[in-house]
Amino acid sequence: MDINSALQALRDPLGVPFFPWVFQLLMVLTFALHILFVNLVVGGLALAVYEHFKGGDFNLRLSKALAQVSTVNLSVAIVLGVAPLLFVQVIYDPFWYASNSLSAWWAMAFLLVIALGFLATYVFYLKRKKSPQGYGLFGVSGLVFVLCAGIIISALSVQALVPQKWLEWYSANGGLATTGTSLYHFEIGRFSHFIVPAFINIGIFMMLYAWYFRPRADADAAYLDWVGRSGAKMAKIAAMIQVVVGFWWLLTVPADLHFMRNPFLWIGASLGLLLLVGLMKAESAPDRYAIPMALLSFVAILGMGTAREALRMAYLGVFDYSIYTYPLNIDWGSTALFLVTFVMGLVVIAYPMTVAFKLGRGTLTES
Amino acid sequence: MYPLFEFPTIGGGMIIALIATFHILPCHLATGGFWMAYFLERRGHADKNQELLDYIKHFALMILIFCFVLGSITGVGIWFASTIISPRAISGLIHTYVWGWATEWVFFIIEIVAIYTYYYTFGKVAPKTHMRIGLIYAWAAWISMVIITGILAFMMTPGKWLETGGFFDGFFNPTYWPQLFYRTMMMLAISGMFAAVMAGFMKDGKTQNYVVKTAGRWGLAGMVLGALFAVWYYFKLPATAHEILASIPYAAMMFKVSLVIGAVMAIYFALLIFGQTPLAHPVVAIPMVFVLFVGIGGGESVREFSRRPYLMPGYMYSNQIIAHDFEVKGIKSEVARFQKDGFLQSNYFVPADWRNINEKNYLKAGMLLTKANCVICHTMEADGRSSLPRLIERIGITAAADLAAYLKTIGDDYPYMPAFAGNDVERRAAAAYMVSIVPNNEAEPPTPAWVLNGDE
Ligand code: HEC
Ligand code: HEM
Repeated sequence: MDINSALQALRDPLGVPFFPWVFQLLMVLTFALHILFVNLVVGGLALAVYEHFKGGDFNLRLSKALAQVSTVNLSVAIVLGVAPLLFVQVIYDPFWYASNSLSAWWAMAFLLVIALGFLATYVFYLKRKKSPQGYGLFGVSGLVFVLCAGIIISALSVQALVPQKWLEWYSANGGLATTGTSLYHFEIGRFSHFIVPAFINIGIFMMLYAWYFRPRADADAAYLDWVGRSGAKMAKIAAMIQVVVGFWWLLTVPADLHFMRNPFLWIGASLGLLLLVGLMKAESAPDRYAIPMALLSFVAILGMGTAREALRMAYLGVFDYSIYTYPLNIDWGSTALFLVTFVMGLVVIAYPMTVAFKLGRGTLTES
Repeated sequence: MYPLFEFPTIGGGMIIALIATFHILPCHLATGGFWMAYFLERRGHADKNQELLDYIKHFALMILIFCFVLGSITGVGIWFASTIISPRAISGLIHTYVWGWATEWVFFIIEIVAIYTYYYTFGKVAPKTHMRIGLIYAWAAWISMVIITGILAFMMTPGKWLETGGFFDGFFNPTYWPQLFYRTMMMLAISGMFAAVMAGFMKDGKTQNYVVKTAGRWGLAGMVLGALFAVWYYFKLPATAHEILASIPYAAMMFKVSLVIGAVMAIYFALLIFGQTPLAHPVVAIPMVFVLFVGIGGGESVREFSRRPYLMPGYMYSNQIIAHDFEVKGIKSEVARFQKDGFLQSNYFVPADWRNINEKNYLKAGMLLTKANCVICHTMEADGRSSLPRLIERIGITAAADLAAYLKTIGDDYPYMPAFAGNDVERRAAAAYMVSIVPNNEAEPPTPAWVLNGDE
């Protein structure tokens, strides 16, 4: 049995309940949201820890705010991870399941380190009330755990792209590797390309922070100026590094995939460059640039996510695998159920979000 | 079939059940806790009782941490554990219920936005606004249960789905309503337990007595009504499930454990109602959480056992092999195919030089076949849980030929075990491997010639 037909045979015989491109679209969209919040957690924790150890009035205030928001962002990142986790298993099931089974212990460890990272982050945030300078090590370990989670999931994603290696791994040393203890394939360039933007996005987050709290009656203008400016500066530097990382990664992508000629790559890269140009200007007026930069950054992340998906299609095209030929078993009823609920959900969350937004900003008016 | 993963000593099935048990406490609390919070907060505002309001704020924070750390991670954990232990089963569920899960996910998003807003606006917005946000959370969380119960019940009793393959035919299956009511009652009981634990940390006085009493009422109501719905649920289970509960001692014991613990919990809650506030002290209440946990574990084991030998009853066996033809989707039984064409020839994840059984590789191929067929329910170690070598020892088979004959009818002779999926040579190779791992087996090992040609 050759690998091409094996991949067809591994597909779920039940087929997919709706057109594969819909799942693909939702997967790319929710992945972009997921990685945005992952970025905010990684950047937020890293900066919270740095400012924590650096000390100083402004620094500690910022550190505290970032530690707090990291607990929220981590929950959001996890919940947002559930959606791409679901959709990837619908259209790329052979790849996802093979990669995970081969590294089974790592798939379990992934959740363990997230749980530990979560608890450490909570301790870092909650306990600092009592001793402002203590508990820094919890922040450090929170960051390390979260990064480990990222390394594992990135390795699992990359392993899924190289089906030609699976059987070799599985039957190494003349036996059967049913122990799932090895992690086989990790690309530091690829991983960095998803993690360096943490500093772009937390920088933009700081610009938003300054913009958001400005109208409050008790706002401390000097502090907010400092936060906004530091954020803009950091975002700019990180964006420059990201350009370098991007090309570094690109050079390691196998040449026979002809990815350099892929339009989605260049769309994504151009959006990144556009963001860099915007950030060069933002330092002069962080408040004014906060919203446009946040939007632009999200669009750039979408571009990056789309390019990532195009790369996956290039990798798997070598094996004649295309999600668009997945056998269909269309189920209109349940598709409609989801779409209606999805729209309804957006309407419902608008209410608590508005209350929270106005309250924090000091613009809530009610009886 | 995907690469196999063997969980040493306790076995993969047990790991899923264990994580599921850990998940049930936080997830039922996440769904039920805010009905309690809403109820108490209304009371707190009506009586202008600041102590009660402080209690609820703390209650909400603990739910936030406990449910959103443990609940969400163990939830994803069940999923990842299933992914590595029986990928084809989780794949089958996902390809049937992806939109169900996606719909549930929308409610997760609502929950997470609502609960953080609730917590961070506590005491800072008008009571009405605040309670409205609490209610949004409570409804969203309960609706997520309404959805997931359909998928969980499907795994027990797929109902008409087996004929039509339709999403809603499988969703609203024979055990859906009893399970939904049962789980709803359990969620109230678990919230009662949690409220009691949290009340144990309050200072003594009227407010504490009030909270403890309320916790006891919710707990008792949940246990008593839950028991009624559990009876309904029990009678809706298919006959094979009842047969399994009667014939496997471990399952029968777990069933009794969960019944006894149900009764113990009911008594505990009754005592709380009748003014035994000191029983909410952490020294008592925290061990009671542990007791409840064991009871849930018992219930989970019963659930796991009673759908044997299937993961998706009527369609896919526990070992991920498709058991029967599924006409409407045009799917053919894999058991039949593997018995005819051979397992090794039909699957990709087989080392190339094991694909054709010969005198050199038959033990290795036998190992692969044994694991593919049996490792989901039995461990290969002599000191493992539900150890295959020990069970073979127990039934007194020592010769490979006898075991090969045993494997031929295993699917017919036991209600809880699937048929062996492999052709005759493969069955003999598997038997040869199995007798080789039985400790202190003194019988003559089979000859390669017998494995290859047989003499049955
Ligand atoms: C769906 C789960 C499942 C699968 C798959 C399974 N078994 Fe079992 N098996 C059980 C259960 C449950 C028992 C009862 C255990 C007990 O009594 O402690 C059992 C008992 C046994 C026994 C003892 C029977 C007796 O009469 O006491 C043997 C032997 C056995 N299994 C062999 C196998 C072999 C060989 C395979 C693979 C071809 C296999 N089982 C696959 C669930 C399974
Ligand atoms: C909190 C720590 C986490 C970090 C740092 C993290 C980081 C990442 C990174 C860097 C990637 C890109 C991998 C690559 O393509 O190379 C990724 C992808 C992904 N993550 Fe996360 N993640 C985290 C948590 C989660 C959780 C909890 C889930 C599931 C609930 C999840 C689900 C996913 C999925 C499904 C993908 C895409 C996989 C694919 O398309 O092949 N992540 N994550």
